[in-house]
Amino acid sequence: MKKIVFENVSLNFGRHEIFKNLSCELDAGKVFGIIGKNGAGKSTFLKLAAQIIKPAAGEVKILGLKNVAAVTPELKIYDDLTAAENLNFFVKLRGKAVNLAEMGARVDLDFQNNTRAGDFSTGMKQRLKFAILLSVDADIWLLDEPTANLDDSGREIFYREIRRGAVEKLILLATNDAADLEVCDEIIKLPI
Amino acid sequence: MKLSNFRFEQAAAIFRKDFLLGLRRRAAFAAMLMFSLTATANLSLSIGGAIFDENLLAALLWVVIFFAASAGISGTFETEAAAGTLATLKLYAEPQAILFGKMFFTLASLAALTVFLLPIFLILFDCTVAQIWLLLAVIFFGIIGLAAAGTLIAALTTSASVKGGLFPILLFPITLPIFLPAIQLTAAAISGADFETELLMTMAIFDAILITAASILFDYLD
Repeated sequence: MKKIVFENVSLNFGRHEIFKNLSCELDAGKVFGIIGKNGAGKSTFLKLAAQIIKPAAGEVKILGLKNVAAVTPELKIYDDLTAAENLNFFVKLRGKAVNLAEMGARVDLDFQNNTRAGDFSTGMKQRLKFAILLSVDADIWLLDEPTANLDDSGREIFYREIRRGAVEKLILLATNDAADLEVCDEIIKLPI
Repeated sequence: MKLSNFRFEQAAAIFRKDFLLGLRRRAAFAAMLMFSLTATANLSLSIGGAIFDENLLAALLWVVIFFAASAGISGTFETEAAAGTLATLKLYAEPQAILFGKMFFTLASLAALTVFLLPIFLILFDCTVAQIWLLLAVIFFGIIGLAAAGTLIAALTTSASVKGGLFPILLFPITLPIFLPAIQLTAAAISGADFETELLMTMAIFDAILITAASILFDYLD
């Protein structure tokens, strides 16, 4: 079974306790919505799940899944590269061949445009991040407030791709937006 | 060393990306080249046409290369960290590919630096080189060591608050075993004197040690 297992996970930031003896199983093929107040540990939960950070106690096991791709506010793209250069770079790092015209149509972004990503609007940058997410080889998707800067058409694209990706991947979606939860199969409310 | 074919592809992609960004931003290249130009011009003007012996000329050349390299290499990881792209790079690329991609780029930058600096240095100090192939070999081995040590220290000092001062302080002792034979051999190249091939071998061996050490230690950096 492909899944991520949290076993009695505890984590503190200084004296602030984020998780205490957290245990849960996250199965592949599902979209998990992670909700909670600001500071509840939504982003931290994603990082623990992907083993980007380690718990102070307990264990996070990734079973049968490999490679993480993510759209989070912390992960930036290269402002001095164009959309096509950014996408090609990440595909060369970890991806399969990508058809720029096809991907452009999929996320509604013009990859023929030579404008550098630094001159993009926040929404266009988010679409480029989605294009990278869709193009790299990954079994786990981490999405942290992914629709925060998207217009309605961007949100539609995002929801469509999430539904398509959920068939074989494990998707963790941290959000404060109730509309995002409609694509989720299960909701995890923090603190647990 | 832990390079596999896939990682080599990643390292090559990182090298190409850094090269493209280097050409577009130009800041690191400009810092290195302008430092080497102004330092060489100042030294040349300050001696007022006096003739230096080959040992002093060799030492001056390597001092200029060292500090010009420091000005350019120190920001290898810092620029990415400040832009927020280092976290993205770490997510999608293997640590060894990041190290070697950056190291190849640093090496290319240092090669460009020496191509720019060497003719200016030789002209301004009115210096002729009796054994040009020896000089090129010494520079080749010298900048490989600088690139290996410089890339690792740039990664180490990324989160340091005083990295500008820290970088050359950390780089100097690590690269000293390369600089000492480099200065001796450069002096021999200028004067045409006989030289010990063991010194070239020492530089090559120390380069290999630095590359291996950087490869092992980089995995432990967060």
